[in-house]
Amino acid sequence: MTLGEKLLSIKRETLFMILILATSIPLFFNVTLPNQPKPEAISFFEAANGLKEGDTVIIQSDWTEGTRGESRGSMDALLRILTRRGVKFAILSVADPQAPEVARNVMADINKERAKEGKQPYRKWDDWVELGFFPNGEALGKSISANLRNAVGSKLDGPDGGAKKPVFESPVLKDIKLISDVDMYFVVTGTKSIIIAIERFAKQTKMAGMVTGVMGPETYNYYVSGQLVGLVAGLKGVYDVESQMAETYKGEGEVNLDKGTKYIFTLHVGIFLLILAVVIGNVGVFLTRGAKK
Amino acid sequence: MNPFLAQATYDPPLTFWGRASGSGELWMMLGVALLVGFGLMFAMLQAPARMRRPIVATFTFLAGLFFVLAWLWPKAQGREGGDLPRDGIEAVGFWVEDATGRIGTMATVLSAFLLGLGAYSLLRIHLGRIVKKQTDWAFSVVLLVSMLAMMVVGYGSWYQQEFSMKDTDFGNRANWTAIITAKDFLFDGILQKMDGAMFSIIAFYIMSAAYRAFRVRSVEATILLSTALIIMLSLLAVVDMASANFIANFTGGDKNHFMSNFTISEIAGFIRTAFQSPSIRAIDFGIGVGALAMGLRLWLSLDKAGGSS
Repeated sequence: MTLGEKLLSIKRETLFMILILATSIPLFFNVTLPNQPKPEAISFFEAANGLKEGDTVIIQSDWTEGTRGESRGSMDALLRILTRRGVKFAILSVADPQAPEVARNVMADINKERAKEGKQPYRKWDDWVELGFFPNGEALGKSISANLRNAVGSKLDGPDGGAKKPVFESPVLKDIKLISDVDMYFVVTGTKSIIIAIERFAKQTKMAGMVTGVMGPETYNYYVSGQLVGLVAGLKGVYDVESQMAETYKGEGEVNLDKGTKYIFTLHVGIFLLILAVVIGNVGVFLTRGAKK
Repeated sequence: MNPFLAQATYDPPLTFWGRASGSGELWMMLGVALLVGFGLMFAMLQAPARMRRPIVATFTFLAGLFFVLAWLWPKAQGREGGDLPRDGIEAVGFWVEDATGRIGTMATVLSAFLLGLGAYSLLRIHLGRIVKKQTDWAFSVVLLVSMLAMMVVGYGSWYQQEFSMKDTDFGNRANWTAIITAKDFLFDGILQKMDGAMFSIIAFYIMSAAYRAFRVRSVEATILLSTALIIMLSLLAVVDMASANFIANFTGGDKNHFMSNFTISEIAGFIRTAFQSPSIRAIDFGIGVGALAMGLRLWLSLDKAGGSS
């Protein structure tokens, strides 16, 4: 068997085992890599970090554990920034019925983290509310565009262990009527739901996106056009935001470098492995053809 | 006419769309709407088959017309809460604007029925498979048992949290009941983790494809491969920084130097703005035109198969 044939005959099982080892072993090491944040991630951080105490934003959380590797880090970073800035927020979902529960769990973890940092927990109803799941993103987007209060006003929420009331009676949304009253609209998603939202009301308020790497290229168009004030795409985007958070927030015990930083080394190894697989395959073909000639 | 078509959101409400949530008037209107809906459904079922298509086409047209109006009808600028329309154009504009939220809610409610339809469809198909003992019927049993278990603990947990124990602080795990613990285990402990595992399997396909299929067979394939390589390298923070440092050493830190355009990040940025974005815009534009054509056909019931039966 020639070298070319050997290169072309690596068993699938071997490839898969290498992939498992190469992507899991780096997770056990804390390696902080140097980073130059991309412009869109810098814009995102500046926009989110520029919000003032008492501002109100809406987070459209459309991700589940399927995109946890990228979206969880995005959501964590966003919630950390908003809670540290004292920004009030409402969370809604349109893409997946599982998404509200996932977002709720993240918020619970953020509150545990705040308790460890010696900070007050972000209180449901007073500081943030849940608007729940809406199964038709297009219709909701158009309704939000016309009148936010009519679109989501029928939802009820309340403090933990307390009675539920219409969400617009909450301190979070009491002064909000139209989408233009909201200081910023964030979308954390692994789907096209961000584009549906942009098409319907991006011109009425500032919008920023945190999307998966797969959705990055398509969503990037809306950042270039100015319809998004910032964009975090994929794990690199999360790492970019975390890097900027580490430079900005230096409070004792504050978590800044988290999942993006933890996974970025694995991403490096994974991409390196992919490039290596392409090179080996092509060199194998090249050598085999040469031998046949 | 004008007050009826005026705006909805100020007190007292003036329009059909502006009744307060929970008011008796609204409940009465809902009851009437429900009766009319049942009446229409009954009438539809009694109508001769040849009449159904025009009826469905009419309703489809009217439903679509609303959203066409919502996009195209002139909107009042700087409208305040108590404003009344000055003319017919504004009256229709106000009415459409006020109705948009309600119609959107109706569309959302209709979409929610799809979830029920999906559950019904799953039940029908898999129960049939089990009864007839078709191939792999055991998998259908697993699916239905899983579905039933999730429904029982899901609704049970919802009922406890919203009704029977609504004053309990469930943020504290010590207050969790058996059914809430079971729901947490099934949803967060199993379903969500399997969701993550399912998506992670894609990595194996990508790896296999990179090794076996990504070949330099033609000029086009070479361009594609080179572009992909640059974009992938730009995602690697270390490579990105290393290339930037290398170029900076070469140019002496002069950002206006011609060679400064050749960092991985700059090249990747050029590819994204000069090739990727325009290509995606072109594709999206094509898709948009196609969707518009399809939308028109649906709206006007031009498809023979649509809306007839």
